[in-house]
Amino acid sequence: MSGIAQKLAANQKQVAISEFFEKNKHFLGFDSLSRSLITAVKEAVDNALDACEEARILPTINVQVTKIDAKKDIIELTVEDNGPGIPQKSIEKVFGQLLFGSRFHAIRQSRGQQGIGITGVVMYSQLTTGKPTHVKSKIATEATAAVVDIGLDTRKNKATKSNSGREIWEEENGEIKKHGLEVTCRMKAKYQKGRQSVWQYLRMTSIVNPHAEITFTDPEGEIHFWPRVTERLPRKVESIKPHPHGILLGQLQRMLSESKDSRMSVFLRMNFSGVSGRAAKELCAAAEIEVNTKPKSMKPDQMRALLEAFQGEKMFNGKPVKLLNPPTNCLSPIEEMLIKKGLSKTIDSRYATTMTRVPNVSLGNPYQVEVGLIFGGNMAADKPVEVLRFANRVPLMYQQGGCLLTKAIESVDWRQYGLDQPGAKGVPKGPAAILVHLASTNVQFTSEAKEALAENGEVIEEVRKAMLEMGRGLRKHLEKKKKMAKTKEKFELINDILPAIAKKSAEILERPIPNLSGSITKIMSAVISESETAWNKATKMTDVSIKIYNYTARARAYTILATWPEKSGGIMKNNVFGGRKEATGVWAWKLETLQPGENLTITFSLDGLEKGDWTETDVFYRGSQEIIGALKMDEKYLDEIRNQEKIMQELEAKSESDYTESSPNEETTQNEEEAQPEPAVKPPTGQATLFGGEL
Amino acid sequence: MAQKRMSAEDTKVAMHSVVGEMYDKIVNGEPPTMTLPVRTKTNIGFDKKLGVYKYGKKRSTRDATSLGSAKQLLRALHVIEFIEEMIDSGKSSTLREMYYISESWGLGKFGSQNESNNLAEDLEIVTKCLREDFKLRPEEDGARMIGNLTLQERNRRGEWMRINARDDVGDSGYGVPYNVEKEKIELLEHDINFIMAIETGGMFDRLVENGFDEDYKCGLLHLKGQPARSTRRIIKRMSEEWDLPVVVFLDGDPWSFRIFASIAYGAIKTAHISEYLATPSATYLGITADDIMAYELPSDDLSKKDIEALNAELTDPRFADSWWQEQINMMLELGKKAEQQSLAKYGLDFVTDTYLPEKLAELGLA
Repeated sequence: MSGIAQKLAANQKQVAISEFFEKNKHFLGFDSLSRSLITAVKEAVDNALDACEEARILPTINVQVTKIDAKKDIIELTVEDNGPGIPQKSIEKVFGQLLFGSRFHAIRQSRGQQGIGITGVVMYSQLTTGKPTHVKSKIATEATAAVVDIGLDTRKNKATKSNSGREIWEEENGEIKKHGLEVTCRMKAKYQKGRQSVWQYLRMTSIVNPHAEITFTDPEGEIHFWPRVTERLPRKVESIKPHPHGILLGQLQRMLSESKDSRMSVFLRMNFSGVSGRAAKELCAAAEIEVNTKPKSMKPDQMRALLEAFQGEKMFNGKPVKLLNPPTNCLSPIEEMLIKKGLSKTIDSRYATTMTRVPNVSLGNPYQVEVGLIFGGNMAADKPVEVLRFANRVPLMYQQGGCLLTKAIESVDWRQYGLDQPGAKGVPKGPAAILVHLASTNVQFTSEAKEALAENGEVIEEVRKAMLEMGRGLRKHLEKKKKMAKTKEKFELINDILPAIAKKSAEILERPIPNLSGSITKIMSAVISESETAWNKATKMTDVSIKIYNYTARARAYTILATWPEKSGGIMKNNVFGGRKEATGVWAWKLETLQPGENLTITFSLDGLEKGDWTETDVFYRGSQEIIGALKMDEKYLDEIRNQEKIMQELEAKSESDYTESSPNEETTQNEEEAQPEPAVKPPTGQATLFGGEL
Repeated sequence: MAQKRMSAEDTKVAMHSVVGEMYDKIVNGEPPTMTLPVRTKTNIGFDKKLGVYKYGKKRSTRDATSLGSAKQLLRALHVIEFIEEMIDSGKSSTLREMYYISESWGLGKFGSQNESNNLAEDLEIVTKCLREDFKLRPEEDGARMIGNLTLQERNRRGEWMRINARDDVGDSGYGVPYNVEKEKIELLEHDINFIMAIETGGMFDRLVENGFDEDYKCGLLHLKGQPARSTRRIIKRMSEEWDLPVVVFLDGDPWSFRIFASIAYGAIKTAHISEYLATPSATYLGITADDIMAYELPSDDLSKKDIEALNAELTDPRFADSWWQEQINMMLELGKKAEQQSLAKYGLDFVTDTYLPEKLAELGLA
């Protein structure tokens, strides 16, 4: 009897897991044949990027999609990386067990907040083709690679191993591969082209991972290659503890029940960020809890009271308890210049502007917004601009309309910035692409599908602000382009056409060629600036020259200002004109009086940059007479730069003080908490409960 | 003749004054300029003495302060030099040929054929010379004529050839050359009572086939749509030198009204030489708006563009008289237009046996 019962139970569980897939395929990313393939690529590539990042390796990733049976839609996918590899004994766990991996425990910005990881791919392959997933892994300390076929025992939710062994892994050039991972799986899937395709996913991934080299071989054998444009790896991100402002009751309950701390004051200080020793005591007081209460013995009423103290609803001395913001070093922005490089290598354009806002906190969650806009080139002028959305460096490819990032773009009146937008509604039209990246420790999605970001007033405003600033940049660029065209015309006029008129008229009339200087001053009747920014191969520096001509009848005096990429490491060299720094990335030169007909050239070089980092220098002036080819200095612009400088300084000071305040305490309780690097907190995503208590 | 023809020397002097204006400006430290009358509707007025529309007093100065204008001045200099060379070597060229020759003018080359046509007209206006003085020929198609009239034309060998436009020509008639001035064509004698200018080739051929020119002692002239300068000029010469009435037989639509205006009153584009091209005594014979009703002609609905054109004509000073106002308003009310050849509804001979005799009788010509 008991045997039958066990069998029934086992059958039930198998049904449950297949059913689970069937029921939840839409948010697991396997709801259509074409999306299944994208999801599989996504899981494998995200893993590769994360592994490389952790091991501080510049990733080189090869993706190959082959059609095995076109009629039955059977596809083989191979993803190979040069990451650290997985030790043989861990392969089974990584590929065979759901929700394995440290990232589900830590609060930090990571790619893998979506889907159920590579195990889902193994499971999907198994369920649709019955084939196990072939894994080849080599770690640096071993001479050969481990190979194994991983299937999934759906009854036990455990991996099954077969054909395991070791083999020599040679690269194409015959050399032994140092380390890396190769995953091959066969699944029912469809390869598609266009906006929602493997190609687009990899293209977008390449934009936000400029340090990666990605090669994609599509089913037709065509090879798509996205080169590495920087040797700089993303900053290593730190794990942080949850912040009281972002905590929910259930989570608090769990933390309390699992706590081994003896006193509430220690519990609060050690398990949350932004809580100092003083704040811990004040929180307890506000919630009317004794500081020496044992966390495990907290009553539901007390928990609720504590939560209210967290939210500032219960006060201490008539004021909400003051909490420090969580540190923002847990975020890893891509950074302006790298976004620019990523965009420029992928999309042909004339103009690119990018911006990384200073980090911010919403509901206790640190977040940071980055945006990029490219314009011109071969992009279609009459279609909506391409919107490239990313959350923690992961491309979002579906549900564009319902996403916070799209809504922020739509909230801007783009018409004033030179893009078409009928009725100031919707995504603007024009030869442009807009990139938005939200980096956060806790990205909130509209649904489990994790393709659209949920509404959040603070975040939307932050994105909107960044959009407005970029819009201003675009308008400035378009105006400048127009003015430059005008200037170019004027120079053609006085340098080519006017001398030709003088010569030809003199010839016809058989008279001497007249002097042109008077006519030139009358024709130009302006002060003109011509600037050039060019890469100097010999010196490996970017040379900038700014020439000012006075084509007016009066003497003129100006202060000339120019931008340079100080934040991105550009160092000014050979600046013979001297001058002084006006603000971060803005230099100023006060010029001697320029007599009528005179000209003058400011030159300098920028060191510490790579080719293509800096291609356009903005030139501004202070002075009464307009300079064609330069912009009148907007003092508000300088104020904004100084403002951001101030915020940055304050943030740095703050995170330092946060650090110094908590570190001595941590030392004293090292045995209690420090041995376990991850906070004792379950992820806020509800995913851990999908399969019950396996973890 | 209204406009005095210039000698080669006079033409050169006139052109040099244009060059001199530019040169002197540069010498005086100013941007070089070229002064022209404004060539738009706003600067067209009726010259009571001449009975035609002419440019008014508005002038514009094209100066070299913008790249576009400076290039125009440079092109003008190249064109002037080119014309001088042609005058000296006794050659002529078409406007299109000049456009291609400009390929070798470097910065002064034309961007389009339209530019070279306009510049030739600009120079005509500024120098008061004619295109013919510049040795520039148009591309446009001249008219053809049939009727008992005799003229002589100087052929390529420089000999005068006597031609009777009824006896010495085939069915396609006498082809009017681009230059119809006295050095090229002399009007000798005729035995006709009037000249009839016809819009379409089909109708011209119908009248020829039916022998209308002999039955009604008239000269038939095919306009080929919007008439070329030489076509309008020869109509003018025959009308003045032979003192013959001119009747114009066109389709019944707003565009035909404009063709008539260019024949009778002068065209806006060539208003500087209206007195030399326009025939103020010409009469509009048909198709009129009331013909459409009176003869119950097969007709088409007016298009949006037709209606716009008619409305524009209502405020055009050239159509200001009561007869035209009535015709235009009537067509607008009818909402219909008709082609000349719609008269074939009543048979091939209806136009020559009934329609034209009736219309000519109204004018006292039949």
